[in-house]
Amino acid sequence: MRFFYLLVLAVTLTSSGLLAQPAPASKAKAAPAKKPRIVKMFMRDGLRFEPPRLVAEPGEQIVVEIENNDSTDQTHNFVLLRPGTRDAVVQAGLALAEKGPVLEYVPPSADVLVHSRLLAAEGSGSIAFTVPTTPGIYPYVCTFPGHGMIMYGALYAGVTPPPIEKDPNLPPMVAHGAVAGGGQRPFAQRIFMPDAGPAAVAIALVGSQNVCWDAGQCRLRYAWQGSFIDASENWAGNGKILPIVPTKPWWRALKDDFPLRFGAVDSAAPKVKFLGYAATTTGPVFHYRAGVTEVYEHVLPAAGRPGIALRLQIPRAPGLVFYRTAADPNAQWTSSAGTWRDGVLMLTPAQAADVTLTLTSALCTP
Amino acid sequence: MNLVKLCSHMLALFAVTAFASAAETTPPADARVAQHYAIGKISTPPGVDPQLGGLALLPDGRLAAAFHHGQVAFYDFKTLNWKIFAEGLHEPLGLLLGQDGSLLVMQRPELTRLRDTDGDGVADRYEALWEDFGMTGNYHEFAFGPVRGPNGKLYVSLNLASAGDTIREEIRGEWSPIGLSREKFYDVADWKKNSTAAGRMYGRVKWRGCIMEIDEATGAAELFATGFRSPDGMGFDAAGNFFVNDNQGDWRGTSPVHVVQRGGFYGHPASLVWRPDWEGTEPLKLPIEKLNALRTVAAINLPHSFYASSPTAMILIPQTAAWSPFGGQMIVGEMNSGRVLRLLPEQVDGVWQGACVSFVDSQALRGGIHRLLFVGDTLYVGRTHLIWAGGEGIGTVKLTKTPFEALTMHATPDGFRFTFTAPLAAGAAEPARWPVRRYYYKYHEPYGSPQTELTQITPSKVTVSADGLSAEVAFADLKPGFIYDFNLSGLTSKQGESPLNPAIAYSLNKVPAK
Ligand SMILES: [Cu+2]
Repeated sequence: MRFFYLLVLAVTLTSSGLLAQPAPASKAKAAPAKKPRIVKMFMRDGLRFEPPRLVAEPGEQIVVEIENNDSTDQTHNFVLLRPGTRDAVVQAGLALAEKGPVLEYVPPSADVLVHSRLLAAEGSGSIAFTVPTTPGIYPYVCTFPGHGMIMYGALYAGVTPPPIEKDPNLPPMVAHGAVAGGGQRPFAQRIFMPDAGPAAVAIALVGSQNVCWDAGQCRLRYAWQGSFIDASENWAGNGKILPIVPTKPWWRALKDDFPLRFGAVDSAAPKVKFLGYAATTTGPVFHYRAGVTEVYEHVLPAAGRPGIALRLQIPRAPGLVFYRTAADPNAQWTSSAGTWRDGVLMLTPAQAADVTLTLTSALCTP
Repeated sequence: MNLVKLCSHMLALFAVTAFASAAETTPPADARVAQHYAIGKISTPPGVDPQLGGLALLPDGRLAAAFHHGQVAFYDFKTLNWKIFAEGLHEPLGLLLGQDGSLLVMQRPELTRLRDTDGDGVADRYEALWEDFGMTGNYHEFAFGPVRGPNGKLYVSLNLASAGDTIREEIRGEWSPIGLSREKFYDVADWKKNSTAAGRMYGRVKWRGCIMEIDEATGAAELFATGFRSPDGMGFDAAGNFFVNDNQGDWRGTSPVHVVQRGGFYGHPASLVWRPDWEGTEPLKLPIEKLNALRTVAAINLPHSFYASSPTAMILIPQTAAWSPFGGQMIVGEMNSGRVLRLLPEQVDGVWQGACVSFVDSQALRGGIHRLLFVGDTLYVGRTHLIWAGGEGIGTVKLTKTPFEALTMHATPDGFRFTFTAPLAAGAAEPARWPVRRYYYKYHEPYGSPQTELTQITPSKVTVSADGLSAEVAFADLKPGFIYDFNLSGLTSKQGESPLNPAIAYSLNKVPAK
């Protein structure tokens, strides 16, 4: 049987002086060098590289396995450049004019460090190279005429990349697309989240607030203001890398502290069972059972104030309901009904049938 | 899904600049496939990551597909347009139409029922049908299914965690105390050292490595079978027998296809701790003889890399003129190459066994073949890869001209009986034209297995039927417990064709009684 066709373009660019010297073949045989890292690169519909950026160590040996998966049958190449030369190389590529096809649209330029062949749709290729030893941000671009202004990305070598949605070295569309939900609000994304159980939900609320709601524990975990999660690394990998919460949460629930209690404030935390959620125009309405009691919990932005709100609906509360909040000097809890004492809201069954809790903080901005 | 071994890539960093052509060339084998199968593709939704987790056909004839970033979208075959139905799911890896018209989707944390209650064409209810299973946050805990059995029950399968990663301190569900202590699993710094005691793949939270039976109406779940590692593919044959495949790795010398019975154990020991009758022994420490006695062996072994490295969806070929003569046979997808295989299982004196043979094997199919669905005369092929070998998007396959190759293969008291899709040419009775590599894969803890006790054998006698459509292949020394891996490239049809897929491997568990 056949092996997957792998076309390797092994390159060293010692002449450019930029790339590290690879070990001579004979030496490598005697003491096998660390296996090169394999990085996948896809060319996608809409003139996009996926992933839009790569992170590598200076001097690292990597192999970029490239697949042109553009379903619109566009032809692309992958050209890695010296820092800051993207515009110039794209222009030089255009200037090739009728000489372009022969050169596969790669301009002969010292700024071009390494490049793939021109890949037709469904084509694949691979380039092996040593990452430059000089730390820097090395652009990669497709030099096919008309593509280079949109279709590019960046290899960060020994330089820490900024949050993807703020990365000036990426096409604006890509930065936008890195945010889960593509900027939709409200939007709920089930995904692994930092500082929560593994069955987490990230929620972008209308406005600028975001929360992490834990579907394993059926409770709110934290809230942050600003951009929604960047899940690009999580999605580019096998799911192990946690999404980035771009700003520091302004509020966090305590660990292991389910807030609802039935009958008495110090009664044992009920066992919870997640039942799902309804998607609404104002945010998800979670549905769960706490003990035997069904609870609906609508997560939405706070009305008229910076912050978030939880509309709780407990249609058949068996008795008094208590909502416990953690001491937090910045957080302010208020509610549409019930009595607060020492950070605990007490609700009669009638009040618990429909009550809205609002959480604001001095750390929130309007 | 599988940790793909990248070492097969013939890669070197040369000290001199070397260019190899990346130009598009069609390998000769693929050109031959193209004479028999039309391979194409359909678009995927714009702006949606094209890695596919699930495929289903809607009652109104649209195609439903689940994607890597959590969308479910519907494709209209008439307008060729996609419409997003649901979003924000966590790594959905299976779709099934619910009996009540809802759409069932298996995502990492739960089996979810999607409903559109207001009729606007977009899901507004994401109901947790079953979520009572453990999660440690380990990336390898993928969840597959659901498939529906002839009894109307749903079946889902849950992956083990990988020792390539730790667990998170906050987990969901009960932790089994059997084995390495839980705190050790948090210890990222010492994990390399600790991980060997964890087991290469581990299942310390509930139902990991298990097949679960779910009541579609109530969500009530019951343990159905144990002993799995990364069981992506589940399916039923026409008689209702339940087939589940698994991925080569620890305790998996090669990728197996099992016929699964309630209460059965299928070889990977990690999930034994979740059997209700388990008395607390660390399954990894059990003597191999004990495990061997407990387990049911694979019905069909898929020889690693030669046939499949990472098997996926299993479905039946429709019994229509378009797919004749293959109708009714089972096929299985494969992640690591552009290959779909046919499976030819049979029961011999109560023991399941059978053969595998390539069905469509072409680079034009890409790789990463994860989900399969027949709609009309077309086979839809949904592809994914994550960080492993694979492909993307949705491919299409149509049979245009039946190739010459083995159609069926059965064990006989003396050897095997083959049927072919076209009559054999004269000379097929020469035993030398039927060379066999005979070997088996070891059942043991290490990752994979060499082909063991490999010998080259040839039949003692071959008898071809008068019509040339079948052959009896006898061996002087027919031994059970071996894979008989035939290379039929020396055969030709009366039309002068050689087999499109000449390799066919039968896992002989039991020699039929005379
Ligand atoms: Cu391009």
